[in-house]
Amino acid sequence: MRAGMLAALGVAFALCASAAGALAQGPRVEPAPGARPAPGIGGPPDVIAPPSVPPSVPNEPTTPDLIVDLSLARVSITSAFQGESILMFGMFDPPGEIVVVVAGPAARETVMRKQRFLGIWLNTGRQSFDDVPAYYAIAASQPLQRLLARGAGGEILSLEDRLASVKPATPRDAADLARFRAGLVEVKRREGLYPAAIGQVTVQAGRLFRVDLPFPSRLPEGVYDVRVYLLREGKIVAAVSRPLPVGKVGFSAQLAGWASHEGALYGVGAILMALLVGWIGGSVMRRL
Amino acid sequence: MEIYLPIAELSMNVFLLLGLGAAAGLLSGMFGVGGGFLATPLLIFVGIPPAVAVASQANQVVANSISSLQVQWRRGNVDLRMGLVLLAGGMLGSSGGVWLFTYLKRIGQIDFVIAVLYVVMLSTIGLLMLFESLRSYFRRRRNPDGPRGKLHTHYLVHRLPLKLRFYKSKLYISALLPLGLGFVIGILSAILGVGGGFVLVPAMIYLLGMPTAVVIGTSNFQILFVAANVTFLQAATNGTVDVVLALLLILGGVVGAPIGARIAAKLPGVALRALMSLLILAVAAELLTELLRTPSSLYSLGSREVLP
Repeated sequence: MRAGMLAALGVAFALCASAAGALAQGPRVEPAPGARPAPGIGGPPDVIAPPSVPPSVPNEPTTPDLIVDLSLARVSITSAFQGESILMFGMFDPPGEIVVVVAGPAARETVMRKQRFLGIWLNTGRQSFDDVPAYYAIAASQPLQRLLARGAGGEILSLEDRLASVKPATPRDAADLARFRAGLVEVKRREGLYPAAIGQVTVQAGRLFRVDLPFPSRLPEGVYDVRVYLLREGKIVAAVSRPLPVGKVGFSAQLAGWASHEGALYGVGAILMALLVGWIGGSVMRRL
Repeated sequence: MEIYLPIAELSMNVFLLLGLGAAAGLLSGMFGVGGGFLATPLLIFVGIPPAVAVASQANQVVANSISSLQVQWRRGNVDLRMGLVLLAGGMLGSSGGVWLFTYLKRIGQIDFVIAVLYVVMLSTIGLLMLFESLRSYFRRRRNPDGPRGKLHTHYLVHRLPLKLRFYKSKLYISALLPLGLGFVIGILSAILGVGGGFVLVPAMIYLLGMPTAVVIGTSNFQILFVAANVTFLQAATNGTVDVVLALLLILGGVVGAPIGARIAAKLPGVALRALMSLLILAVAAELLTELLRTPSSLYSLGSREVLP
């Protein structure tokens, strides 16, 4: 496993270096006024070139380059899956600061709260929230508060801001709602789904950046959205978005698929497996 | 070595799960009960979602009961008639139990109900067994060759209608009694993921008055089919049976059971029962403190619903 990670890192660095090399050999590094960057210079084809995509990117005469790649194209949940750490790396036209936001698919989550009742702790309160991201991580090349305080805001949301926007499914008074929201964050943090210490985005040579994205073993499936922003003086000047599919593969995927689509058949299979192993195991062990 | 459990959706140490299975197997070999009452709370304790723990444990019980039924059947220790009456009740009870489980899970009270049921049941059974084994220990010391007394005492329950003759058990009792007993065990089996042997065996001895020789085989017969029914219904309605988890528990149990049987052969029955009752009481006490202690976090999450 560790060897695998090292290999991935190695590959990532090689990619990083080659991307930088390709750019250096490209037409220019500093964009000339009026010239738009040619699409796909050294970068992967699915990099969305601003300004066409995120509408919040101001329509400047020039859009600086921002190239991003991930050490893995997808998170594959196999039988040996124990969580994954994905290296995200890329390069940008200096100057500027980088902010990375990774969000899992949104769904309705129900938060339950325990209370002491006749000496016993049991769930007495429940509150559902709509549009809760399964996973949320944010990292920046500078302390986030400082970057966002300058009004970069807009579509970059800190975890607190993102969760302030999740809608309660049923009404409740504001103070209590805030407690349930805090409870939601607490549970998600404990499960490693809202990683608190994701670490800073490190910048090398003023233009290469990298950050490790941690994913725990208990990871909801779906298409995650990885977004990278380039900020200059508190404004978004470039943005890149990439989908990151997270899903079970191989044996795990097959079993989970059967369990959800062919429940009855899966049940019969489970019973037959138990009968067979129990029968053979019992006979063999008694003879020893 | 970690393995990803596809239905529980988390990774867990293989040897931890094998060890859990072996511990349950050891118990089943020593005391002739499934050991699920110990394994299910432990699975939940190590972080397996309760719904998956219960359903997968039911799958493990299937394997456990077939391998001991193999022996009991060959020795002729199964009262088939009694087994079938128990089973009829068990099928009804377990089907209702799976429905109840699904409902409790939806309203978010399943963990609480599981814990409370375990505490109530384990402490009752544990205390009854402890007193019984102490009493028989002292009685034997007082007059080792004294009269053995009646085969079994007659209670009010023996006056119920629908009497049936159970030849192998040497009983003439109402069929409603084993039917009701099977029903209750079926519900427990579905909600707690246990075979229910630790309730069924004492109940068959003390409540029905069955001879000890046929009790284990007959209870195994009923447990096998009830556990299979629970496995099937949990898989078909909730999709919570994790076969990878179940297989690891089964493999551990296969190794543990004969070791337990060997230990049991060397210990006197009274000591064995006293030991078992203490173990049951210890699990009950642990679960009770869990319920009473201030939890480290007041909040937990229900199941995620992806909206269309």
